[in-house]
Parts: sequence; C-alpha cells; structure tokens
Amino acid sequence: MNSQLRRQGSATAVQGTGYTSDQGSPRLRRVTSSRSDQNGPQFNWRPASAAQEDAGQEAAVPPKDLRALPMPMALKRAISQVQQMQVPVLSSFQSWKRSKAKSLSRARKSIGGFLHYITLWRRSLNKIGGNFGDGVQSYFLFLRFLVVLNFLSSMLIIGFVLIPSIVFRSVASDSVTMTDNGTAECRQYDHKPDPLVRYYSYFLDLLSGTGFMEYTYLFYGYYRNTMVAESDFSYNIPLAYLFTAVFYFAFCLICITARAGTAVRVAVATGGGATGSYSRIVFTGWDFGCLGDTATKLKQKNLHYQLQVDLEEERIKNEAASLTLRRKVLLYSSRIFLSLVAFGLIIAAFFGIYQATTFSQSKVKETGVLGLFYEYLPSIVITVGNFVVPVLCDQIALLERYNPSITVIVALLRSVFLRMVSLGVLLFTLWSQITCFEGVSEECALCHYNHKSYPCWETRVGQEMYKLTLFDLLITLAMLVLVEFPRRMVVDNSSNKLIQFVGRQEFLVPVNVLGLVYGQTVVWTGALFCPLLPLINTLKFVIVFYAKKITLFSNCRPAAKTFRSTKSKVFFLLVLLFGWSLALVALIYSIAEIHPSMSCGPFRSLTSMWTIVPDSFYSLSLTTQGFLYFIGSQRFSIPLFLFFSVVMCYFIALASVYGKSVDLLKTQLKLEARDKQFLVKQIEELSRTLGVAR
Amino acid sequence: MGATASHLGKDLLSEYQELTFLTKQEILLAHKRFTELLSREDKNLPEPRAPTEAILTLPELKSNPFRERIVRVFSTSESRDGLTFEDFLDLLSAFSDSATLEIKSHYAFRIFDFDDDGTLDENDLEKLVNCLTGETDDTRLTPDEMKQLISNILEESDIDKDGTVNLSEFQHVISRSPDFVSSFKIVL
Repeated sequence: MNSQLRRQGSATAVQGTGYTSDQGSPRLRRVTSSRSDQNGPQFNWRPASAAQEDAGQEAAVPPKDLRALPMPMALKRAISQVQQMQVPVLSSFQSWKRSKAKSLSRARKSIGGFLHYITLWRRSLNKIGGNFGDGVQSYFLFLRFLVVLNFLSSMLIIGFVLIPSIVFRSVASDSVTMTDNGTAECRQYDHKPDPLVRYYSYFLDLLSGTGFMEYTYLFYGYYRNTMVAESDFSYNIPLAYLFTAVFYFAFCLICITARAGTAVRVAVATGGGATGSYSRIVFTGWDFGCLGDTATKLKQKNLHYQLQVDLEEERIKNEAASLTLRRKVLLYSSRIFLSLVAFGLIIAAFFGIYQATTFSQSKVKETGVLGLFYEYLPSIVITVGNFVVPVLCDQIALLERYNPSITVIVALLRSVFLRMVSLGVLLFTLWSQITCFEGVSEECALCHYNHKSYPCWETRVGQEMYKLTLFDLLITLAMLVLVEFPRRMVVDNSSNKLIQFVGRQEFLVPVNVLGLVYGQTVVWTGALFCPLLPLINTLKFVIVFYAKKITLFSNCRPAAKTFRSTKSKVFFLLVLLFGWSLALVALIYSIAEIHPSMSCGPFRSLTSMWTIVPDSFYSLSLTTQGFLYFIGSQRFSIPLFLFFSVVMCYFIALASVYGKSVDLLKTQLKLEARDKQFLVKQIEELSRTLGVAR
Repeated sequence: MGATASHLGKDLLSEYQELTFLTKQEILLAHKRFTELLSREDKNLPEPRAPTEAILTLPELKSNPFRERIVRVFSTSESRDGLTFEDFLDLLSAFSDSATLEIKSHYAFRIFDFDDDGTLDENDLEKLVNCLTGETDDTRLTPDEMKQLISNILEESDIDKDGTVNLSEFQHVISRSPDFVSSFKIVL
C-alpha cells in the first residue's frame, strides 16, 4: 500500500512538470492500471485530451514547434492538423510576419541541408568517433577547424595582396614609388641566385627557402611599394599589405571566440564539474555513437575505470583528511621542490635554443648539406626540447602525487608553456641579432638594423618560419614511418611478455593538440613575412589529417583512461588563443618598432611599417578625417565605456538574482516533499486507527 | 497515404520534415535503410512494421547495451515490439544532431526507466550502471561499490528526497552537462 501510494504520489508530482508547453499550463495525466505484462502501474506518457486543450487555448499564439514534442508521429500529425484547422484572427501585419518566419525557416533548412552535404570529412569523423571515442574525435574536429581557418585566411591574403601585386607588377612596373632618402649602401640586396649550382641545391633550396625560392612571391622581399593612383581607382599596396595582416589576425580571433562562445557559456553556467559528478557520469556518460563490439567494450571499460577511480578518490579523500601535520609539510615541500626542478628544466631548454640560434645565424654562409644542417639547427633543438622536456615533466608530475586529473593538467600546462615560450625565445634571438640589441653596436648605426648580415631581414625571418613549418611536417611523417609502424609490427609479431605489456601506441590527444597549436602559432608569427604561409599550412594540415587517420586505424589502440577536462573544446581553444596572443605581440613589435629593410619589400622607404597609415590618412577627404578624429577622441570613447559598464553591471545583477531564486526554489521543493511524506504518514495512521476501530 | 514501400511521396516528405528534426537527405536515407530491414511480404503492407530482431541488426544499434530499451520506448504497437517507419523517424529525430536538449533528455529518461514506472528508483539505477559497465563478471562493480555509487547518485540528484529520481530532477542533472547533446546521437 505504501509503495503504491508513493509511486502514485511521485506520478502526481510529475504531472505538473512532465513536459513544459509554451503556455506553461500543466497537462493532466492518467496513471493507468497495470498492463498484462508488467508489474506495477505502467506510466502513461501521453497527454490526455491534448488536442482539445490545444483547441481551447490557441488564440493568437504562434504555432508550437511540433518537432520538439516527445510524442509519436501520429499524435504530432493530429495536433498539426488541429492547428491548421483553426483560423486564428490575425491582423495583416501578424500574418505577414508569420509567412516571413515560415519562409525564413524553409531557407534555413535548405542552407542546413546544403552545409550538411559539403561538410568536410563528415563520414571519416563519424567513423573515428564511433571507434575511438569522442576524445580522439575532438582532436580531428579541431584539426578540421584549423584547416578551414587557414584556407579562408589564405584566400583573404591572396585576394588582397598577392593578386594586386601580380596585376600591378605586370601593368605598371616601378610606378610611383616614394622618394628614397636612405643611403645607397643600405639599399644593396643581391638576390640573384648563383647560376652555377650543384643539382641537389634545388632540393635544399626548396627545404630552406633560399636560393631560387628567396626572391619570389613566397617572401616579403619580392613585393613592391607600388601605389597605383588612376582617375577613379587607387590601390596602395603597402597599406593593403599592412591592413591585410592586421585583419587576418582579427579574423582568426573572431573565428576562435565564436567557436568557443557556446562552450564557454555552458561551462560558466554549469559552474565547472565538481559537484554532481557521479550522476553526470552515469546519466550522460554513455556515447550512443559507439560502433561495433570493440568500441562498446572499450567504452564500458572506460566508464568502469572512471567510476572506480572516482569512488577510490572519495575514499582516499576521507582518509587524507586525517593526515598528520608532519606528513602534510613533507608533501607540500616536495611539491614546491619538484616544481622548481621542472621550471629549471624549461629554463635550460630556453638557453639551449638561444645558443643554437646565435650559432646558426653566424654560420649562414655555409653551403651543402652541412649548411642545411646549420640552417635547421634551431628547429632541431626546439623539436628535441619539445620531446625530452615534456616526458621529464610528466614523470615529475607523477612524483608530486596530486590526484590523477590534476596531474594531467599540470603536466599539460607545463608542456604548453614550454612550446610557446621556446618559440618566443627563438624570435627574441632573431630580433636581437637583427637590431643588434637595440642598435648599440656600430653595425646597426647606419641603417638602424644589421644590413651586412641581413640585407633583407624580413625575408630571413620568413624563411625561419617556413623552415619551422616544414620541419614540423617532416618530423610528423618521419615519426609515423620510423616509429609507429615498426612498433606495431614488433607488437603484433612477438610474444614477449614485456613487449605485450608495453603494447601498441596509444593516441595521446593532448600532445597532438599541442603540436597543432604550435604549428598554427608559427604560421601566425610568420604570415607578415611570408604571405603564402597560411596556404602552405592548409596543405600541411590536410596531409597531417590523412597521416594521423592512417596511423590511428593501423597502429593505435584507444586510450583506456581519459579525463574529461583535457578533451574539452574550451581547453583547446584557450591554448590556441594563448598562441595567438604570442603571435600578436610579435606582430605589434615588428610593425611598430623595427625599421623595415631599405633594400626590399613594400615598406622600404619608411621608418617603421606603421607610418604608412598616418601618411595615407592625410590623403583622405577632410570630412572623413574629421569623423575619424571624433571616433578616437575622448568625447566619444568615455561615454561608450560608461555605457558598456552599465550594461555589464545589469547582467551581473541579473545573474545573481537568478542564482538566488534557484536556491530558493530548491529549498521549497525539499519542504514540499517533507510535507507530502508527513501527509502520507498521517493517512497511514488514520487508516490504521480506523481499521483497528472496526 | 501516398507512399509505396520503395518511394516516398513529396508531400509526405515535407510533412516529415515539419514534424522531425531530420533533413531531407536523412529522411530518404532512413527510408532506404528501413525498407532493407523489411521481409518481402511486409513490404506490400500499407504500414509495414519491422520486427525488433531485424532492427537490432542495424550496425548503429547492434552493440549498444540499451538497444532493446530504445526499441521498446519508440515502439507504438500494443506489445511494444517492432517499429513502423514513422516510429523509426521519431527515433532518428530524437537522436539527431539538431534535436533540442529537452526532447533528448525526455527520451533518455524513458530509456533508462527499465520498469516503466515514470521514475528512476534503485533497481533502475542498478540496471543502468550494469549496462554502462558491462554485464560480465569482471567488469561489474562490487556490491559495496554499487551501493556507495547509488547512494551518491541519489544524494546528488534527488532534490525532493523521495528516494527516486523523477523527470525534472533528471533534466536538471542533464542541463549541467555540456557533453550530453553530442553523446546522445545516432547518425545513419
């Protein structure tokens, strides 16, 4: 009797909240008597007399979205027929609005169908997700996003910089160039390749961007500072070059934040994931896209492991709360010491990169294979550092004895820091060589940069970034062929216990994502000096996609242990933004501070790249100048700032009010449930006393 | 109805587009896969119903531990056995890319409600956890771990403290999980 009453009670509690309609009125439900093949009452999910209630309350409400009703198709069809039969009294404006809304939704549906058709690699990604889980799939989704981003930005650069340069080079060569007031010595630039070369030097030049590749559209040095000014058409190539570079950065920022927007909003709203993790794992843990028996068993093992780890961590936490003071002090001091050790390793790597770069720049006149080795020395040192130091950091993080999820994040953050800042060290070394440490040496006194070693320094920086990109690709392919395939052969064909224990390669998502972010940061840094680098990067990432897909399906086994935090979209995009901001610093410094080369490039006669903007500004009409002055002045920006502060305060207040009302409603629910249990007990007592009395 | 077993009429197709979250290509693909599941006699019936065993041979459902529950929930027949084409479309619509969180969480709740009583009590939760971790002996949780887990789940999600998780409490948990919409997906 009790359980029946309780079940009916909870059924009535669901009545009001089972599914919410637009009008918000609760639907009546019947709890039917038990079916022939079930024990206990069968819950009836269908709303009784839904159609009649609809008819009664329709009035001038817009038609419900029928797709979102959790009812079988026949009922949905009945409701839609009822809706169509009613002719609500609408004004002409409302009917116009409704027809516009309908055509808009139809247009959106056809666009959605078209996008669905042309989505790149859709079936491959589904197959990867089904067989290896959504952690690995998120890596490939990220890679696809980067391919599309690079492709669109290379179209931008080609459209605004490359094609006008080609057109105006052939149309009007050496047209209106600005007066050069530099000294003749600074303007010397010998870019003609040596005519008598060995046959293999073409291949070496392709790999390092020197020789026949140096004076081409690939690098900054080939572009002229032509400013075409005809009667009704003018095109200022230096200004276009600068604005395209700035807009390229802004475009990438907008794409990244738009993609991160939804995920960040959800993350802020759900407030992280500390509480409610057990119910979340159990209710949302299963991936319905899993295909095949192996993937399903793997997912089950994964969930089993996750649940066990969480239950174990809870038990350990209950024990660790009772840790003695002495052991706590020991633990914290060991953690600080190990953090210092990791930091010291990273600093040592930076020092190595600095030395390698200075050495490489001093040996730039060498030719042949040894010269190629010296050219690639910074890339080699960076790659070796990026392999060795994260492995050591992983071991150190294990010793620090955090709980498993924090260990992974700590090790990952150290790797991110290492990779990004090692690139920064390389750039810093290059810049200090070019400007001889802010021009103190006499080599830089004449032209404000070291014109003897770097007649066209922007091309040299572009070549360095080009080499880094190519080397990254070559290393990826070499790892595939020389490490992963042999490892699979060895594991499959030997029955040695130790080898079977080590097993096949595991596809580590965080490490691979870091590789992608590093490659993209290199491209952002180098795009100003090597305009075709985004296009090269698009091709590189497409090759990487297919290479990683091949190695995934042939050589790898899926990870048995995955952590939710490291496969989140937000984490990848945050790391990408970190790389972007590093590249932005490099861009700002190059544009504003360093003197452009006087012998090559579109900015050859200016003191800094930015000065083209004020120079062109004064050629605009006076009203435009006045308008732009007003936008930049305090009279406009301070009221704008105040307005945005007010809007932000409003939203913060709104959010806190919503939080308070959620807590209030939760307490109310608890009180009501207690009331219900009290009443049930009363009923029991009454029926007992009545039964006893009879 | 305007539909033969091999071809969908145009107005029926647009009606399905109105009533489900599927695009035109997805509906046509679903029709093709569904007619492959029918036996030859069934193809000539006006509203053919594919038997449960045939549906469970679909590669997307074959190894899913919840496959029988899914077919039961979406079936509109008296004995909850077998799906018509419209039931199949309802299934794909709820599991599609563009379905809303509300409809997905509603159907997820019904799938997890093993005894069909409208709430998730301890038996439902135990069966759910066993489906998630696998039914073999070495992948099950120990009884102690299971008890600890179920009491943790009820403590976290049972707001009104009646010992069961009802639909709104379930939807409250789901709304705090950003991965749910992308994992509750079946694409043909």
